[in-house]
Amino acid sequence: MTEHSRFPHGLVGIGLRLPHLAEVSATRPRLGFLEVHAENYMLQVEALDRLLGLRRDYPVSVHGVALSLGGAEELDRLHLDRLKALVDRVEPLLVSEHLAWCAIGGVYLNELLPLPYTEESLELFCRHVEEAQDALRRRLLIENPSSYLRFRHSTLSEAEFLGETIRRTGCGILCDVNNLYVSANNFGFDPVAYIDALPAEAIGEIHLAGHRVAEDADILIDDHGSRVALPVWELYSVALRRFGPAPTLVEWDTNLPALEVLVEEAWHAQQLADVRNAEIA
Amino acid sequence: MCEMPKLLELQTQLRDAVLGGAASELLAEIDADGLLPEARVRIYRNHAVSTLGGVLESVFPVVCRLVDRRFFAYAAHEYLRGHAPHSRCLAEYGADFADFLASFGPCKELPYLPDVARFEWALKAAAAVREATPLMIEALAKVPHEAAVSLKISLQPSVRYLASCWPIDAIWLANRQQEVPGVDLAVGGASLELRRAAQGAAWQQLDPASFAFRSALADGLALGTAATAAAAADLAFDLAAALDRLFAEGLAVGLGAC
Repeated sequence: MTEHSRFPHGLVGIGLRLPHLAEVSATRPRLGFLEVHAENYMLQVEALDRLLGLRRDYPVSVHGVALSLGGAEELDRLHLDRLKALVDRVEPLLVSEHLAWCAIGGVYLNELLPLPYTEESLELFCRHVEEAQDALRRRLLIENPSSYLRFRHSTLSEAEFLGETIRRTGCGILCDVNNLYVSANNFGFDPVAYIDALPAEAIGEIHLAGHRVAEDADILIDDHGSRVALPVWELYSVALRRFGPAPTLVEWDTNLPALEVLVEEAWHAQQLADVRNAEIA
Repeated sequence: MCEMPKLLELQTQLRDAVLGGAASELLAEIDADGLLPEARVRIYRNHAVSTLGGVLESVFPVVCRLVDRRFFAYAAHEYLRGHAPHSRCLAEYGADFADFLASFGPCKELPYLPDVARFEWALKAAAAVREATPLMIEALAKVPHEAAVSLKISLQPSVRYLASCWPIDAIWLANRQQEVPGVDLAVGGASLELRRAAQGAAWQQLDPASFAFRSALADGLALGTAATAAAAADLAFDLAAALDRLFAEGLAVGLGAC
């Protein structure tokens, strides 16, 4: 479990996107922490300077989207070196990546693509997680993806795959409740059973975001483009009861709203966490 | 029963499908789960096309405005087919978009479009780099006279030089305004120096000799060679004055031998 005392301003934060960077720097909204996409700060000195300024007042979490831990090739050393340089500079409380792949054969697709959940994938994924943790000298949190397709030859469930990864590598879990809701809807499985199957002690962070219904199919798209949906809030409460308090992040990437909307969403998450804490008390 | 594909093979097939290629072998491996496998692959493809097109639109806003958003999305899609990103940092995606536009038939009616794209890319590139501590001109006094001709003067890492036979900076400025004023294309070309500024990047127009001199230095050529290039552009080129300006503008950051 994360050491929560390192989050002195609360456990709920927002994904800080570049268009909000100047406003957050100027107004310093009341938030527990800020999370940034690692790749947005690797080659942009002005953004990095602002982030380092914010780092003095907020705990920061670094969320990678391009390491391609599930890629069937060696890890990209240049990218891993860039990630390490950023992590060393920012000294974030949390560093996370995805149960996915996004590059193969020298082509980066900017997509979190699904893996077949097989022993072959598991061995490869664990090797890459260990390599990244060794390079970064940090424990990684691994996020469950939102998925739109599954492979016939998978032999493990996603929760089993994650659980085994944790057992073999010592990494933690970033449980994205919206991703879980989206995937559960798209494949017709029970998201609460998935939550129950995860090792609670490995949960290091929770993500929340909005999704939309696809125009031409009975499928949900994880677009991070709206407020968190009501059933996702309900699932978040279930997750809190099961996992206990965990740093929780509200993400918004497309159709980015005014900063205050994002902050409102974070405060709502805080209210739900407070309710859960009151239940325990 | 078919043998299941190796992971590398499977990922290569899915990559090609996301980029718009054939996916027949891959589709047989995907669980339908109530929706056609091709529809499931299309979700990833549409998202990739949309997000990568969005990246290009954010870097090339004036190119997008010049051709309109629908056409830009089409051009970005065609670019993606043959120029998928290689870097994991999307800040590096689009470096050769201008070259693509130059060879893209449907853009031929806007001959200045590739150079406007080069200008937008140079603005972005200049803004992303931290400037180094500039040298004072007194540093030149330590260079032995006989070494001056082969002296290499390193310039600020953010600086970029861009020449066009079109007034690309005027076109760019006009298209950043809500109501686009007319731009007289007959005024001639531009010889521009771009560098990082307090916020973003700034540029200035250079005379032909200064442009030849500074761009030669930026290319790593020796001082003597750069001076010759400048004199070829303008016989009245004054090397001492040019060096004064170079150092006064904080452009020189290192001295060495070629």
